[in-house]
Amino acid sequence: MVERLLDSTTLGRRAKSALALTCLLALAACSAREVVVEGSFPTPVVDPVPVSVGVLFTKEFREHELVDDATGRGEASWRVSTGVAQVDFWSTLLPAFFQNVVFIESYEDLNTYDVDAVLIPEVTDVQYAIPLYTNVKVYEIWMRYQLSLVEPDQLKDDENQAITTENAQPFVQWPLTAYGKTPTAFLQSDTDAVNQAAVMALRDAGANFITSFGRVPGVLEWVANPEEAQ
Amino acid sequence: MRVTALLVVATTLLGGCVTANVDEMTFDAPVAGMGEGSIVILGRRHAPDYDTEPDFIDCIGGHVSRGDAGISVIPERQFIDSLYPWFEPRTAPLSIESVDRLMTVPSVANKLGELDLQYMIWIDGRTEDTNSSGSMTCGVGPTGAGCFGFGTWGTESEYEATIWNFGEGSEVGRMSAQTSGQSYMPAVVVPIPIIAPVQDTACESLGNQLLQYLSAES
Repeated sequence: MVERLLDSTTLGRRAKSALALTCLLALAACSAREVVVEGSFPTPVVDPVPVSVGVLFTKEFREHELVDDATGRGEASWRVSTGVAQVDFWSTLLPAFFQNVVFIESYEDLNTYDVDAVLIPEVTDVQYAIPLYTNVKVYEIWMRYQLSLVEPDQLKDDENQAITTENAQPFVQWPLTAYGKTPTAFLQSDTDAVNQAAVMALRDAGANFITSFGRVPGVLEWVANPEEAQ
Repeated sequence: MRVTALLVVATTLLGGCVTANVDEMTFDAPVAGMGEGSIVILGRRHAPDYDTEPDFIDCIGGHVSRGDAGISVIPERQFIDSLYPWFEPRTAPLSIESVDRLMTVPSVANKLGELDLQYMIWIDGRTEDTNSSGSMTCGVGPTGAGCFGFGTWGTESEYEATIWNFGEGSEVGRMSAQTSGQSYMPAVVVPIPIIAPVQDTACESLGNQLLQYLSAES
């Protein structure tokens, strides 16, 4: 369209190209930044906790994204999709952390697998900061999770033969925070830097989960006696 | 042609304007070299406003490997991933005593045993641009594009290496390198960047000190 507008002017060919490029750059600066977080996540080196756990990734968790619409001139809207990376990351971490892990995807799974508890991770908050807003030469991402351990029976909606989390009463529930940053000097673009900061935040979430799990009130009692502690 | 040659010579000559200060305090250097085993060089990443650059860590690792083919350097990313999550910014040991606590986790102790690690070297620091001045104007017209002006900026690097002898469980030395330099960018139609290799000089300085400590060949 920009080219078509320029065709109607009397500028030279080079000038037209330069003007077109300038217009496109200006438009790109105002457009929304979209990041689908991608990264590779290592398997943790841990001695597995001797329990059998079902893991339920809710639809909200699988499709989690941060949307921040621009409010001022010169700002850009951001859409950071973390859902796929969240599932990828926790699917790598949890099977190594617990002795036995199954992923609960249906009502039938709840009946089929005999697990000590079902772990439900939720992303309750994600915030980001970029150098434009902070004047610090780092891109930052904060994530806050709510983790719940629930008895499998509480997730059964027998009437509809479905999984429900509505009436579930977790016997252990705790918050988990994570932080990731990337210095501006390391990367080529805003979106690369935010992606890298999000990957670092996920890795930090795993580090925090592994090192703090044993200190969560009620967890040690449950691990010592998974049948009765609930 | 002659102008281009002149510019290339000027770039080469002016590009080397970097000053470096190195400092070292080490104990128990392996007299006959470190022998069997491997080392890992890791960057500190727990400061709020900077991370030690991964490419700087790679540069030092490459410098040590090239200087003594007998020294096996485990790449930083490979080491951190293979011991996840124990060397993340949140969990990385800040003292050799913390490593002892880490070794109480059997799977971590096994993994470190497999790697046959002799020395763990931590690098903390960064390179940053400091003062800048000058101005440059660029324009695009129907007959072409060009720039005119002059810009200059300073760059400073400051890094400290801390060496842990993994076998003995002790800190055996600290080395540091501070370098600074001034870069220039004159522009007469085409901008010509004359970049001071500040970080490269810091890498070479610190790499040489590490080689002197670890290698029997130096």
